[in-house]
Amino acid sequence: MFLAHGVGGRQDLPIPFAGAVAGAVIALLVSFAALGFLWREPRLAGIPSYVIRSSARIPQIIGLVVAAYFSIGLLFGPDTPENPTAGVFYVLFWVGLVPLSLVFGPVWRNFNPLRTLHRVACALLRRDPNQGWKQLSPRVGYWPATIGLLAFVWLELVAPARATLPVISIWLSLYALTTLTGAAIYGASWFDKGDAFEAYSTLIGSLSVAGFLPPTHPLGRSRSATPTNTRSTQKRNNRTTTPNDSPTAIPATSGKKDRPRRSIPNGTPSAISAASGKKDGSRASAPSGSSPAVPAASGKKDGSRASAPSGSSPAVSAASGKRGGTRATVPVGSRPDKQRVSHDDAREARKQSSDQSSAATGKLIWRNPLDGMAGLAHAPGLPALVIVLLGSTMYDSLSNAPIWVRFVQDSSLPAPVMGTFGLLVVIGLVLALFLAATTWAGRLGGSSPATTAGELAHSLVPIAVGYLIAHYFSLFLFEGQHTLALLSDPLDTGANWLGTANWTLQSLGATPASIAMLQVTVIVIGHVLGTVLAHDRALTLFPRRTAVLGQIPLMTLMVIYTVAGLLLLFAG
Amino acid sequence: MKSLIALLVGVVLSVTACGASDAATFSGPAKEIAVTIAGGAVTPPPGRIEVAKGQQVKISVTSDVADEAHVHGYDKSAALQPGAAASIEFVADQDGLFEVETHESGLQLFQLVVQ
Repeated sequence: MFLAHGVGGRQDLPIPFAGAVAGAVIALLVSFAALGFLWREPRLAGIPSYVIRSSARIPQIIGLVVAAYFSIGLLFGPDTPENPTAGVFYVLFWVGLVPLSLVFGPVWRNFNPLRTLHRVACALLRRDPNQGWKQLSPRVGYWPATIGLLAFVWLELVAPARATLPVISIWLSLYALTTLTGAAIYGASWFDKGDAFEAYSTLIGSLSVAGFLPPTHPLGRSRSATPTNTRSTQKRNNRTTTPNDSPTAIPATSGKKDRPRRSIPNGTPSAISAASGKKDGSRASAPSGSSPAVPAASGKKDGSRASAPSGSSPAVSAASGKRGGTRATVPVGSRPDKQRVSHDDAREARKQSSDQSSAATGKLIWRNPLDGMAGLAHAPGLPALVIVLLGSTMYDSLSNAPIWVRFVQDSSLPAPVMGTFGLLVVIGLVLALFLAATTWAGRLGGSSPATTAGELAHSLVPIAVGYLIAHYFSLFLFEGQHTLALLSDPLDTGANWLGTANWTLQSLGATPASIAMLQVTVIVIGHVLGTVLAHDRALTLFPRRTAVLGQIPLMTLMVIYTVAGLLLLFAG
Repeated sequence: MKSLIALLVGVVLSVTACGASDAATFSGPAKEIAVTIAGGAVTPPPGRIEVAKGQQVKISVTSDVADEAHVHGYDKSAALQPGAAASIEFVADQDGLFEVETHESGLQLFQLVVQ
């Protein structure tokens, strides 16, 4: 229900609405066909997002200072439209995390003031922040963040008086209380998948072109090895990326193979040493299971699989986890369909080890955003998290449509009840479509429904991000400026603390027509990227024969989401 | 939500002022819009009403309870007395979509589309 919907609408489209929908559908179908013919091997290496952690005090301090400044308006400012609090929370923070994470990766964890507070409290109590009273079960996964995200979108889109200070204060207090309680019980790892905003930043940040490599990794040089896209899986190709930086970890005898691609951190030495003889094919060109050099004992098929962290065999993951893995985050192929359990173990190990390795400052690398997305660690609740994000944005579009307004106002039920109902129904529909498509795909492709849904959840992230950008672009552009101006005077006393009080809003070249064009473009790009991710994952998920067939339901899903999204944005 | 929207008031105004080089000079008749509120129901039901940029807009609101009608973006409002028609008049010189609502009952009367 933001006014920003007003800037750009169906009427402003420079091309007919039907043309936009037709163009989007054609773009999807063409990319699907092209992928089927040209992209026959899994290519995405799955480069996880690395984030500089504990060594970076500056972001933590920035986070605390900004939070303290925000609290001035929240606690002491007048409850009027001149108070910047609502704008800061809903626009600068919530929407602003999208561009911030897209550019810099999952950075919110670095700024998260709650994480810093927890760290400080632990330091005062002489406790290890990573050590909680209880061990967090891996089965919990992203579910706490999903519930937190649902609570946030309900506040943002449904809650009565949601732009008023009491409502925001109550919500933030409950959020801080539950999050800090979780951290107190389970340690700092609670934030990773328990904090809605960190998880949100992680999802979006996976699409960032920026990643961080651990300092010990021989990066950069691998760039020269980029085009190793041949089928010569047997060929040793470690000339550029021999991980000689960690000699203890790499047995000379290992039948290791390095297939570097750009700056992919190809072999986790610890993992490699543990699973000696493992082949390390982080890249498409390594057809699964085709290499006799791989010892069966290691359980490691030469994977080339996108998001598979190195060490997808139990032995490997266990080893890398124990070693505190300086870089267990290395993506190496695995066969998810063969190694489900160990797969998750490995990811967990990767997670832990990346946490532990954070003391060192990483090195910036550039990666293909799709590799980053494919590197998003799978965990329980991930599909639900992505779908809450996507569904809630769709509901926000719907809630502005006159047909929905009429429906709510004609109803005898109070508007918040109807809004809650609408929000849950839209999220439920998005979820049902996704589950139906992945179940169908799993049936055609020969993979279990639960596995298929979990493995394909990441392909929805670019779609959700496309919607977020389309939906919030003008709000962020204009209301963001407005909020920055208000921020100079949080107490509404005529102050100009930041020097922005007298800003006049600039259109920065945005016109209703150009915004509408951008909206169509980002939605289509999001869906095409989602199609590519789903295709690449399907190649490893399904047997080769059924891989293309198995994607037909996914293609159908993408088309439905695209058309629904464009309809909601422009025809609403 | 209302205060958030109120917080947004003026945004579109300033935005379009920046790109107002194509200041429309619409010289047609004024657009007259009449809305009645009775028992919490809006007649005609909320929808989108399109006007040309630069067109004069005359909104007449009759409510059975005291309230305040408000055009967001243009930031025009009128006090509503029970049974008496109140009117809001302005020139639609900014393009975009603007909600027209009542403040007390929180009803959306219609959305004004200016292009």
